[in-house]
Amino acid sequence: MSGSSLARVHLFPVRHHSPRSTAMLRAFLERVRPKVVLVEGPCDADPLVDVLVDAKTEPPIAILGYATEGEPRSALWPFAAYSPEWQALRWAAEHEVTARFIDVPVGVSLAHDRASEEHEGEPYEDEGEERGEHEARAEPRFDPHQAAAEARGLRGFEELWEACFEAPAYEPQQFREALLAHAALVREAHPVRWHRARDAFMAARIEAIVAGGEGVDGVDPERIVAVVGAAHAAAFVAGDVDPALLSTLPEARPAATTVIPYSFPRLAAQLGYGAGNRAPQYYQLAHEAGCDFRQATLRALLGFGAELRSRGFAASMADTIEAYRLARALADLRDKPEPGLDEVREACIATLCHGDAGPVDAFLWRGMLGHRVGRVAERIGKNSLQEEFWREVDERALPRDDEPTEVALLLREPRAVETSVFLHRLRVAGVPYASYQGTYKDRAVRRGEVDEAGGVDALGRMRESWMAQWTPSTDIALVERIALGSTLQQVTDQVLGQRLEEATGTADAASVLLEAVVTVCPRPAADAMRACDRLAATDDDLPSLARACMSLSGLVSYGSSRDVLMGGGSKATLDALCRKTFDRAVLRLRPACTGDDDAVAEIPRALQTLHDVALSQPGVDRDVWLRAAAELVEDYSIHPRAAGVATALLYLARHVSEDDVAIYVGQRLSDTLHPQAGAAYLEGFLQINAMVLVKNRAIVETLDAWVCEVEPETFRNILPLLRRVFGALGPTERRTFLENLINARGLGDRAAAAATVITTTDEAVLAEVSDDLDLALDDLDDLL
Amino acid sequence: MSAVIRLPAEQKYEAELAALARKDEGSRPPGWRLSPRAVATYILGAGKPVDGVAITPKFIGDASLVEVAIATLVSDRALMLVGEPGTAKSWLSEHLCAAISGDSSLIVQGTAGTSEDHIKYSWNYALLLAEGPTEKALVPSPILRAMEAGKFARFEEITRTPAEIQDALISLLSEKQVAVPELARIAAAQRGFNLIATANTRDRGVNEMSAALKRRFNFVTIPVVSDLRQEIEIVTKREAELRSDYQVEPTPPAELVAMLVTMFQELRAGVTKDRKTKVNPPSSVMSTAEAISVLFNSAILAQHFGDGAVGPKELARSLVGAVAKESAEDLKSLREYNETVAKGRDGLWKTFHAEARRILKAS
Ligand SMILES: Nc1ncnc2c1ncn2[C@@H]1O[C@H](COP(=O)(O)OP(=O)(O)OP(=O)(O)O)[C@@H](O)[C@H]1O
Ligand SMILES: [Mg+2]
Repeated sequence: MSGSSLARVHLFPVRHHSPRSTAMLRAFLERVRPKVVLVEGPCDADPLVDVLVDAKTEPPIAILGYATEGEPRSALWPFAAYSPEWQALRWAAEHEVTARFIDVPVGVSLAHDRASEEHEGEPYEDEGEERGEHEARAEPRFDPHQAAAEARGLRGFEELWEACFEAPAYEPQQFREALLAHAALVREAHPVRWHRARDAFMAARIEAIVAGGEGVDGVDPERIVAVVGAAHAAAFVAGDVDPALLSTLPEARPAATTVIPYSFPRLAAQLGYGAGNRAPQYYQLAHEAGCDFRQATLRALLGFGAELRSRGFAASMADTIEAYRLARALADLRDKPEPGLDEVREACIATLCHGDAGPVDAFLWRGMLGHRVGRVAERIGKNSLQEEFWREVDERALPRDDEPTEVALLLREPRAVETSVFLHRLRVAGVPYASYQGTYKDRAVRRGEVDEAGGVDALGRMRESWMAQWTPSTDIALVERIALGSTLQQVTDQVLGQRLEEATGTADAASVLLEAVVTVCPRPAADAMRACDRLAATDDDLPSLARACMSLSGLVSYGSSRDVLMGGGSKATLDALCRKTFDRAVLRLRPACTGDDDAVAEIPRALQTLHDVALSQPGVDRDVWLRAAAELVEDYSIHPRAAGVATALLYLARHVSEDDVAIYVGQRLSDTLHPQAGAAYLEGFLQINAMVLVKNRAIVETLDAWVCEVEPETFRNILPLLRRVFGALGPTERRTFLENLINARGLGDRAAAAATVITTTDEAVLAEVSDDLDLALDDLDDLL
Repeated sequence: MSAVIRLPAEQKYEAELAALARKDEGSRPPGWRLSPRAVATYILGAGKPVDGVAITPKFIGDASLVEVAIATLVSDRALMLVGEPGTAKSWLSEHLCAAISGDSSLIVQGTAGTSEDHIKYSWNYALLLAEGPTEKALVPSPILRAMEAGKFARFEEITRTPAEIQDALISLLSEKQVAVPELARIAAAQRGFNLIATANTRDRGVNEMSAALKRRFNFVTIPVVSDLRQEIEIVTKREAELRSDYQVEPTPPAELVAMLVTMFQELRAGVTKDRKTKVNPPSSVMSTAEAISVLFNSAILAQHFGDGAVGPKELARSLVGAVAKESAEDLKSLREYNETVAKGRDGLWKTFHAEARRILKAS
C-alpha cells in the first residue's frame, strides 16, 4: 500500500454535528466537484445511503447497527441536517456521484464496545473521544479540549468551539487548516489505539477505492473527497497511519444495519467532542440561517419571548430586541465574532426574565434543545415491528414525539381497549414507549400511589392513564425484538412463554396468565393455565398459592374488559383451576404457618389474601376456609403470629364474637412463660386492622392487663417486639387506643379532656376522608 | 476606631485605573474612561500586572455576571443589580462607576421618604425667595448632576422608594432629559450618562416594580456565595483591605477565617457541610458582608482589648454581638449550633465552643 494516494485524496476534516463544518464542506465540494465522496461511517451501511438521502427522509435520523446473534447489542450513528456526513451523502446524490462509508463495519464496533466495557474501571488504552452513543465516559486525565478553552478565558470546550469554529466566517481552506491544527494538538495529547486502528482501516479502504476496489471504478485520487473526523484527518495529513494496527481490530460480531428516526432531545443528551451537541435546535437555526449565528440568536430570542408571553409573562418585543443587543454586546466583550449559546442564555435572563434564571431552566431551555423527530423514507428501514408500531400509533393518534404526553383511555369503548392492549403488549415486550400512570393520572399523583400496570388490578379497570413518549430507544427496541417475532403479538407470546418456562411457583404461572389476558395473547394464556394446573398440584409455597388464588379469582369474577378466548380454556376450566388452587392452599395452611419468624414472614399477607378470596369468590368453598382458619386460632403449635392474624380475620368477618375474641386474646397472653409468643400473637393480630381492634374495649382491657402483669425482666425482653407492634399503629389508632385505655381504667375526667384533643386533631383526618369521598364521587360520575 | 475616612474607589484604586487607561487599546463608548474590556479587567483582576501595576480582583465570583453587567451598560441600558443582602451589589456598582465614569459618588439612597426632588432637583429656598427661580437657586439631584456631567448615577435600594417615585425615573431614563419648567429649560443628558440601581431581595421585590420601569433595566442577579473556598477568599481579602484602611494590626489566622466562613455557610444553609446535622438558620442576615464585618470586628477587639492576637475568643464575642442585634430567637439558634455542631469539632472549634458558651450564657 502506498501512502501517496492517501496524500492526494482531498481530506476534509469535520466535527460531527456542526453547521459550520457542513457549510464549509458543501462549499468545498462545490469547488472540488469530486467523482467519489467517502464518509466516515460503518462501511457495511453502504446499502443504506439511498434511504439516508431519500427526499422523504428527514433528519434527525440514525444508522442503527445491531447484533444479529448472541447477546443483543447495538450502536448508533446519528445525523442532523447540519451533520456534515449527511450533507456529504446528500451532495453526492444530488450530483449523481458515488458515496461510500469507509469506517470499520458495525460488527467490529460492537465487538470493540463490548471489550472496552469489560475493561470498565481499569485503565484501558482504547478509551478516548469517540462518536456514537457507546462512549461518553468522563475522563479524569488531562483534557486538551478544556485546557484550550481555559487558555482563552472561556468556560469550556463547547464555548471555545463555538467561538473559534462555528461563529467565524471562514473560507473552506482556512477552516480546514484551523481545524486540522486544533486536531493535531488534541491527537498528540492522547493517542488512542482504537482510533489509530480505525485510521489504518479507513486509510486502507481509501487506498483500495483509489485502486479501483470496493465496487468503485478506479478514480484519480484528486477526484475523491474524504469526509472524516478532524483527528482522523490530522493523522492522515501527518502520514501517521500504521497498517500493523489493523490486526488489533477485534473480530466482527454478526450484525446488520438499518436507519431509524432520531430526535433532538436524544442528540442533546450526548456528551463529548465527537457526539456533543448542546442545543440541536439552536444549531438547526444556525444551519438554516447559513451559519449566521446572529440571526440564529435573534430567532432563538424571539422564540423565548413568544413562549414567555404564551405562559402569561410580560415579555415585550422591546425586551426581545434588548436581549439581542445584549447578546451581541456580550459577544463583543468576550472577543467572539458572533454571539453563541451562552450569550443567548445570559441575555435572556438579564432582559426577558428580569434576572431570574428560573423560567430558562424550567421551560425555555427545552426549546433550545428542540423536539424535532426525524422521519425515514418508506422504502426500507422499517422492519415489520416498526411498521406495526407506527401504523398503530398513527391510526390511534398516539403521541409520536420525543416529549411525554398523556394518553387517557376510557375502557368502556372497544377502541380504547384495543389501544390499551397495544400499550400493554409494548410494556410486556419491553419496548419503551408508554408507562402506566394509574387509573387516573392526577389522582394517582395526588395520592402518590399507582396500582400495578398489569396484574389483577388491570382486570376490572374502567380507565387507564399512560404517559407516552417516543424516543429513539423505542425504535431500537423494535429493531432488536425482531429476533423474537415479526408481530408485536408474537414477541409478547415469546416473552411470556419465556417467563412461563422460568416459572417455579403457581403464582408465577398465574401472573403470566394475567399478563396474557391483559395483552390478549391466547397461546401463552392457555399454556399458563396448564402450567398453573400442573404447579398447583405440588406447590407447597403458601404465599405463591395465595397470590395465584387472587389472580385466578380475579379472572373468574371480572373476566376482563378485553375478551380473550382462553385458547380452549372455558370458563369452567378456569373455575376448576381456581378451586383447585384454593383447596391446595387450604391444605398447605397448617404446615406453612409452622416455623420460625423468617419462615412465616410472608404468611400474614397470604392469609389475608386467601381470606379475601374465600369471602369474595363464590366459586371456592368458604366454609372449608373458615374451618381451617378457626383451627389456626386455637392451634398452639403454629407460629403465634399466624394465629393472631387468623383471629383478627375471623373476628373482622364476624366469625368470632366480641366476647370470644377477648377470650382468645386473653388466653394467648396469659401464657406468662412465653411472653414472646404473646407479643408475636399480638403483632399478627394488630397487623390486620388495628383500628377496629383497638376500638374493642374488651380487647384493650385484656391488653392492658397483660402489659401490667408481665414481669419487669420479661417486659424488657419483649419490649422491642412491643415497640414494633404499637409503633405500627397510626396516629388515629393510637388515639382511639388511648381513649379506650383511659375509659377502661376509669379515668373519666381526663378522658373527657382527651376527647376534646381528639376532636380538634382529627379535623385533618376528616379532611382527608372527605377528599377520598370526593374521589369516590368522581368515580361514580365516571360510571354513570 | 481610627478616623480614616473610607476613600471612594476611584481614589483608592487610582493607580490601577490609570495603568489600565494607559494600556487600554479598546474603543471606549462615548463618555467612558475605559474600554469595556478594561473595565472587566479592573473588576475581575488581571493575572499579570498592567503597565507595572497589579490589578486586584474587586468582585470575586462568576465572571459572566460582571460581563453581562458591563455589556448592559455598553448598550446604554440601565443596570439593576439584584440579590440577597451583602452580596456585593453596592460594591460592584461603586466599582463600575469608578471605572467607567471615574466618579462613584453620585448616589441616591432609596428610602420610603425618597421624593421626586431627590431624583430630579430641588431649590435653595433662601435664594429662591430672594432672587426667584435662577440657576443659582437650583439644587440638582445626584442623578441630574450625573446627566449633565455625562457620568453614571447610582440608585441604592431602589425598591424601598414609593412606586410613584420609582416611576418618575421612567421618563428620565427613556428621554434622557429632565424638564425644569421654572427656568424654562430642559436639562439634557450628556453622552456617558447611565444609571446603576441595586435592589435587595429581602425588601419589597423587584417584581413589584412597574412593567414600564422594568423595561428600562437589564437585571443581573448576584448569587449568595455557596462555595467554601471562594467565600474564604473573599472574606480574607476584603477583611485584610479593611484592616489596612483602618490601620488595624492583628491578622486573623487562616484557620480562623475558614471556621468563621464554615459557620456562616452552615447557619445560612440550615445544614452542616457534611449534610448530617440540621441547623436552625437565624433570621439575621448571614451574608458574606456580615462575615467580613464579624472578622474585622474581631481584629479590632484583639487590638484594643486583647493581647493583640485574633482568636476564637474575639471571634465568638463579635459573632454573638452581630447576631444578637436581631433577636433572642437568633441567640437560641446560635446556642444550638454551638452545642450541636461546634462542640464536636477539633482545633480552634474547641476553644470557640467554650468561649461562645460562656458569652451566650451571659447574654
Ligand atoms: N463576591 C464578592 N466579591 C468581593 N467582595 C464581596 C463579595 N461578596 C461580598 N463582598 C464584600 O462584602 C461587602 C458587600 O457589601 P455590599 O454593601 O456591596 O452588599 P449589598 O449586596 O449591597 O448589600 P445590601 O443589599 O445589604 O445593600 C463588600 O465589602 C464586598 O467587598
Ligand atoms: Mg447595598
